[in-house]
Amino acid sequence: MGPVHWHVKTGNVGRRGCSVSVVTTERIIEFRDALNEAMSEEMRNDNRVFLIGEEVAEYNGAYKVSKGMLDEFGPRRIIDTPISESGFSGMSIGAAMRGLRPIVEFMSWSFSLVAADPILNNAAKMLYMSGGQFGCPIVFRGNDGAGGQLASTHSWCVESMYANVPGLKMAIPYDAYDAKGLLKTAIRDDNPVFFLESERLLSTTGHVPKEEYTIPFGQALIRREGTDCTIISFGRPLHFCLEAAEELAKDGISCEVVDGRTIRPLDIDTMVDSVRKTNACVVVDQSWSFASLGSEIASQIHSICFDDLDNYVHRVHSDDVPTPYAQNLEQAYLPNTRKICEAVRAATYNA
Amino acid sequence: MPIEITMPRLSDTMEVGTILHWHVAVGDEVSSGDLLADIETDKATMELQSFDDGKVESLLINEGEAVDVGTIIATIASEDEEPTVDNIPSSSDIPVAKEAEAPAATVHTPSQKQSGGPRVSPVARRLAEEHGVDLASIQGSGPSGRIIKRDVLQQVATEATTSETTAAAETTKVPQPVAPAPIATTVVQPLVASSPWQQDRSVPLSNMRQIIAKRLVESKQTIPHYQVTMTFDMDPLMDMRKTLNVQLAATGIKLSVNDFIVRCCALSMATHPEFNASFGGDCIHYHGPVNVGIAIALPEERGGGLVVGSIKHADQKSLRTISQESQYLSKKARETGLSPEEMGDTTFTISNLGMFGVDNFTAIINPPNSAILAVGSAVEKPVVRNGELAVGHEMTATLSLDHRVIDGAMAALYLKALKELIENPASLLV
Amino acid sequence: MNETTTTEQIMSEGPQAMRSLSKIELAPVPNEGVLLGWLRQMLLIREFEVRTMQAYQNRLIGGFCHIYIGQEAVAVGSIAAVNNDDPVVLAYRDHGHALARGMDPKHCMAEMFGRIGGCAKGKGGSMHMFDADHYLYGGHGIVGAQTPLGTGLAFATKYEDELMKGGTSNHVTLCYLGDGALNQGCFYEAMNLASLQDLPVIFVLENNRYSMGTAIERGTSMANELHVKSEAFGINHAIVDGKNVVNMYQKFKSIADWCREESRPFFVEADTYRYKGHSMSDPRKYRTKEEEAQEESIDCIAQLITYLTEKFDFNQDALKQMNRQVKAQVKEAVKWASESPETPMDELYKDVYTDSWGPYTGTSKPEMLEEGGAA
Repeated sequence: MGPVHWHVKTGNVGRRGCSVSVVTTERIIEFRDALNEAMSEEMRNDNRVFLIGEEVAEYNGAYKVSKGMLDEFGPRRIIDTPISESGFSGMSIGAAMRGLRPIVEFMSWSFSLVAADPILNNAAKMLYMSGGQFGCPIVFRGNDGAGGQLASTHSWCVESMYANVPGLKMAIPYDAYDAKGLLKTAIRDDNPVFFLESERLLSTTGHVPKEEYTIPFGQALIRREGTDCTIISFGRPLHFCLEAAEELAKDGISCEVVDGRTIRPLDIDTMVDSVRKTNACVVVDQSWSFASLGSEIASQIHSICFDDLDNYVHRVHSDDVPTPYAQNLEQAYLPNTRKICEAVRAATYNA
Repeated sequence: MPIEITMPRLSDTMEVGTILHWHVAVGDEVSSGDLLADIETDKATMELQSFDDGKVESLLINEGEAVDVGTIIATIASEDEEPTVDNIPSSSDIPVAKEAEAPAATVHTPSQKQSGGPRVSPVARRLAEEHGVDLASIQGSGPSGRIIKRDVLQQVATEATTSETTAAAETTKVPQPVAPAPIATTVVQPLVASSPWQQDRSVPLSNMRQIIAKRLVESKQTIPHYQVTMTFDMDPLMDMRKTLNVQLAATGIKLSVNDFIVRCCALSMATHPEFNASFGGDCIHYHGPVNVGIAIALPEERGGGLVVGSIKHADQKSLRTISQESQYLSKKARETGLSPEEMGDTTFTISNLGMFGVDNFTAIINPPNSAILAVGSAVEKPVVRNGELAVGHEMTATLSLDHRVIDGAMAALYLKALKELIENPASLLV
Repeated sequence: MNETTTTEQIMSEGPQAMRSLSKIELAPVPNEGVLLGWLRQMLLIREFEVRTMQAYQNRLIGGFCHIYIGQEAVAVGSIAAVNNDDPVVLAYRDHGHALARGMDPKHCMAEMFGRIGGCAKGKGGSMHMFDADHYLYGGHGIVGAQTPLGTGLAFATKYEDELMKGGTSNHVTLCYLGDGALNQGCFYEAMNLASLQDLPVIFVLENNRYSMGTAIERGTSMANELHVKSEAFGINHAIVDGKNVVNMYQKFKSIADWCREESRPFFVEADTYRYKGHSMSDPRKYRTKEEEAQEESIDCIAQLITYLTEKFDFNQDALKQMNRQVKAQVKEAVKWASESPETPMDELYKDVYTDSWGPYTGTSKPEMLEEGGAA
């Protein structure tokens, strides 16, 4: 049976061409297991796919995402590497040029910085520089974002920096359902995909159907319908957005929460439709504000929805400082519920 | 053919080079790779080597001289046995690919233009325009007095209960101006209880009133108006109307006197085409369709004033159709407003103040019509029938006419034809 | 370990799994026809590079341009020692390797001219020569970046041969680098991974002793004992004379066959010299004229000509004729390149992604591949 585009879960509202079906039985698994399933299923179907990274094999994954995969696929296809991001990223890119389909795990996207040259200069540009001769069907995945008192060098949100580069695609799943569907799409995509997970989300659970499904890139999801303000976000901050929406609803402010899901390509159309309905918009982006994903989306909304806005697009980011260690400082630093509520009130003249 | 040596580009930013020293002289044999000269560039002193074998034929630039990159500085006669190596084509010979536009990345550009005046959010500005709300009448509740969406929506709600028309009326054909005789006694505002004014006040003109004002003046100033009045015996028509209405009772259709008049006027055009024409400067435009406009007064809640509904091809429509359309137009005009289609293309207009008890009045021509019929009420009065006094109903109607198109005799003949039809209503049935 | 232990002993007794390779047998010298083919290739590369310089100075080529003149024997000798489908990857001084691999010079020149007929449709330039038909994986601009790619290509061939085809590892990857790359971290990561995973990749160091303007002694520790660099990773090392194409081939063939069979990496150090600057705007003030003259006196092409003359009675007429042919071929390539149309505007948004979305218009192959053949 070929892949079926499901769009299901209590609380999710299907839009953008997804057919909404009724679920008869719920199958609740963890986000990390959803990732595991996606990789394992793709590896079973296509022997060109392999997983490589630090501690992915014998350790069963630093965050247990690849648990059990060494046993099933063997050391040829689940490969432990030394701490050598630049080297093993470049090596995987070489393999991808040849036609294999590597999944490269960064223990944290913070560690991708030492591999910035291969992943940005080689992977993202190979097809173009070679005039269409050699592509790079590779997935780089790992934990992105702050929140666990990991301090500044281990708390990077790389989306804004990397999203600037043409030639790569980028996806950020929020729940287990999206994690599996988007990762499958990423593995099947012939282009380099940067897949940004979150350590804080790995243990969250959700319904993931047993049947085969994928989620196409460039398809945002309305996670909560509303009429007064559109909140646009990606990844873990959605958790804070949904909390904020609940709180604001008590004051009669109805928020529509849009999960962008992918950054390249960006489903600006769903976001625009929502803003045309609500006439107010807040973008919540966990990276720093200067030259960020948030500023890009705000700029696009301004230019497309100029006549539909009652106020300029407000933005919520992490504070423009290196990530602090102390818990109180870090919690204040994040794009938290309080900041989002303030932004929505300001955007809707309810301050 | 000798090989031309040009001042080479020896660094990626070099524009000009100076020959510091020639290492060869005219007549010297050179091989590929031999040093020809030392050249000073913007960055460093570089060596110029020969790429070809041959004999130096000429040195065109002196030591110490600076020339642009690309200038010929020397020539070498080639020794190759085959025809000489052509010069490397210069950069100006690049063939251009077929013209193609640089693909534009999709960029949405905002279309709003800057304006002075109050600060307004973009959506508030758009909503104000859509609803015909004057921004100057709104106090903004946003920061720095910015007018925001809720301010406009509140104003729209307020205005819906006071005197303001919708923007739809602005973009359509001219609504029929009805100018009463100078003294206001002949015009009565129907239905609305007007409150006595205690003090002076100025009310800005609504869009509709602005347009009425403009068109009225234009009509009066450009069209040479004159009037012709006739009185009609209305008894036969009123009897027939009663009879027909009984028969039509089940259908819900109720014919009015005006419906008859519309039909009569329309049929009379057949023999009097000037009444269905317009003045065209150096010609007269005779219109094909007979589209009779009926003037509809709007209640104060709708802003007052009046609009003209158009009954198209009135000469081909039955009384009942005319009645239905007339009712529809009146109702719609009073409730939501007429569309441009419903108001446009009249060729003749009728204004009827009979229901208000007006005996007679004159109306102003609705351009580009050439005539308008002002109809008064059918009054019960002493009449002369067959040389004897009797009681009957008579109605007075006054034509206002454009003397450029219709002269007095034509007007009289038209009214005569009209009289024939109105006083012999049975002829409407055939 | 006693004090008199020599390097060779360490090599054979070392703790790492450096399988013993105490002596490299020279492969036999090929026949005259093959040698004449090498001569022609080296002459072609040299003439091509001369005309490249000329074109650059006439502003037909822009940006950076790195000339291979003087080093021809390394490319020709090593590439002759491997199969057509063995992957090759290298840095930015890549025109010679592209031609040695079999790319038609017209596509190589057109690429530098920025035309649609270029091997990368004009979108790569001098530093990015790619050729899928000849398993040439570029042409890379960042110093050293190609070394992990080399490890990766070897990984892929082994994965395919063993895992997917169920056989044994049957390919060897050539990964060229300059002495400048010896100082770049990713090279060491690449060697480490290659050794850990037993990958059949040969890191070919084209040691021309200068990385841009910096002599090797100023930038690389242990510059005269470079073998320690690979031995640190348990990788065997050999030195070859990069000016002697016959010797180059003989040693290289043995090494390549060994790597292919054993599925192990190797580090080959080829001593060579570039006659021209690092790139087109380098006035070469960091070297002496005497040194350059000395190097040119043992030029690789001259050495082969001498060898052919002595061994096979190769005469001057034959040489002249070969020169003429090569000149004509390059001239034709330049002409073809200059007549190739400018890369059209719609290529700007092509080949960014394989699929079409947003402003991007999918991907297409260069006409070089559609021709399906090479010179």
